[in-house]
Amino acid sequence: MANSLLQVKNLVKFFPIKKGIFRKTVGWIKAVDDISFEVYEGETLGLVGESGCGKTTTALTILRLEEPNKGQIIFDGKDITRIKRSDMQKERKNMQIIFQDPYSSLDPRMRIKDIIAEGMLTHNILKNAQERYKKVGELLERVGISAEYMDRFPHEFSGGQRQRIGIARALALEPKIIMCDEAVSALDVSIRSQIINLLKDLQEEYNLTYLFVAHDLSVIKYISDRVVVMYLGKIVEIADKKEFFNDTFHPYAQALISAVPVPNPDYKKERILLQGDVPSPANPPKGCRFHPRCFKVMKICSEIEPKLKEIKAGHFCACHLYDN
Amino acid sequence: MENKKKLLLEIKDLKTHFFTEDGVVKAVDGVDFEVYQGETLGIVGESGCGKSVTAFSILRLLDYPGKTIGGEVIFKGENLLKKTEDEMREIRGKEIAMIFQEPMTALNPVLTVGFQISEALLMHFKISKGEAKKKSVELLKKVGIPIPEQRVNEYPHQLSGGMRQRAMIAMAMSCDPILLIADEPTTALDVTIQAQILDLMMTLLKEFNGSLIMITHDLGVIAEIADRIAVMYAGKVVEYTDKKTIFHHPLHPYTLGLLTSIPRLDIEMKRLNVIPGIVPNPLHFPSGCKFHPRCRFATDRCKKEEPSLIKIEEGHLVKCWNVDKVLKEVKKGLLVEV
Repeated sequence: MANSLLQVKNLVKFFPIKKGIFRKTVGWIKAVDDISFEVYEGETLGLVGESGCGKTTTALTILRLEEPNKGQIIFDGKDITRIKRSDMQKERKNMQIIFQDPYSSLDPRMRIKDIIAEGMLTHNILKNAQERYKKVGELLERVGISAEYMDRFPHEFSGGQRQRIGIARALALEPKIIMCDEAVSALDVSIRSQIINLLKDLQEEYNLTYLFVAHDLSVIKYISDRVVVMYLGKIVEIADKKEFFNDTFHPYAQALISAVPVPNPDYKKERILLQGDVPSPANPPKGCRFHPRCFKVMKICSEIEPKLKEIKAGHFCACHLYDN
Repeated sequence: MENKKKLLLEIKDLKTHFFTEDGVVKAVDGVDFEVYQGETLGIVGESGCGKSVTAFSILRLLDYPGKTIGGEVIFKGENLLKKTEDEMREIRGKEIAMIFQEPMTALNPVLTVGFQISEALLMHFKISKGEAKKKSVELLKKVGIPIPEQRVNEYPHQLSGGMRQRAMIAMAMSCDPILLIADEPTTALDVTIQAQILDLMMTLLKEFNGSLIMITHDLGVIAEIADRIAVMYAGKVVEYTDKKTIFHHPLHPYTLGLLTSIPRLDIEMKRLNVIPGIVPNPLHFPSGCKFHPRCRFATDRCKKEEPSLIKIEEGHLVKCWNVDKVLKEVKKGLLVEV
């Protein structure tokens, strides 16, 4: 395996629930609760889960756009968990993000050339304006937008094109890792495949590492090398993509896979229908957080929280079924 | 086999246009399809293809600047477009019910769930408020909402997304409609909840042999629940046939493009196919076939003349000049890139 580029150790991020006129903290949303994983250089790590499982918070906390409560984030051999804001800003040259919503993630009052060049200004790369815009033009062309359009504003572009602009912005600083936070979820089918292919090509070209956050397992299967499954702020399974889809360990991951509609009327599969809704992360169930919905629940599950353990080489799972 | 089934709804040359300040948007421009008793028709297409507007036109729910300017919507032998508003009100909710995509915006936030279900019951049947409430509780129970006696008095914001969609299904099913129109009912939901909701909808439909028009962009959902499928592009149906044919022998380049451009769980794909370009602006549709600028089979003829939806084989209608070329490609194996 390649070198580890990013290590997340026991990361915790709680959000306070405030009530009353004095905004007293009455509880905590346990968005990310003690998770650890690694991202290797040059790979795509797919982070999958349903809404509210903490996958986006994980990405934002790694970038320290949200401050972690506990744990450690080690990027490229350096602990960035507690470094100063100004130092963190320097680190972010190597860590970029592409957001889900291409409409709200571009400043409507900026020309796209300035949106893309903003990071270069911040990091003092290409101080000469002419050179900078030349680079912007190259980036735009690379993501499939004509460089002539660089003086336009975001509203003049379609959703797919805006996502391309978002990608160009992330690429501008030649980062080592890009967090793709549901980067293709808001796009139509025919546009989505264009963007996915573009991301794959860019990865090869620039030797990029992706942390690919998504709820769509079909996309995850296509784009990832390894998969991390989250449920209610916890990691329940980590495995190589092939291994994960061939031999899924965790009951939640099994149910998740079985629930994905497959565009093939002859595809036979066992459908696991989960009961009930995802519980609130403010008040997660005791023991295993999945136990109230689990179809393989045992007595121990409501009492003791299972730990994430390596069950096969490189295949981790947090479930009491595999205790022995 | 289809012909033996009872025809429930027939859409003929439906045209719904929006008369905006910038010009006329031909959102639905000559759509034809049928729905038989007890079957599910899937309407699939990307945003802006006119699939939702088609649904709204059937129930005549569109307001200015949208207007249905032509065609027929024949439901149980009668043209709904010729009915008065009062007659339509009798049909809406009772015989044809609708489920919307976003349950939070489709439900009234200041009224209890029970009130909103009772509303339809009180309007269409001569029953007392008490009876309506009792029926609401039964309905909520039927759609799998726990503690229905309590939930019936709650407001939409107190329910989760999945529960809200269940409540909306209860509302739609309250008067035992014969036709249900579902506009992306599970798009806003998580996959495990989506599976629950689809399962529930199909169970209920089977129970009373109702028909469903399922509008979605998700080919996976369509493959799971539809019997027949209409693929829409730029306000028109471009391919119309049964499910197996659509997925195994599509003959329209757009359908083929869609099928090969989605990542999927059942097969390993090396590279996704791409439909180049974007959906055209409805104010400036291209000449000829509206798909031609994005079509790799396009010829000069496609630029000039618009093909009509013609029968290629029994029960398979395609709107394309180059069906032969597409057929050759499909015969090579649908997923060439694998």
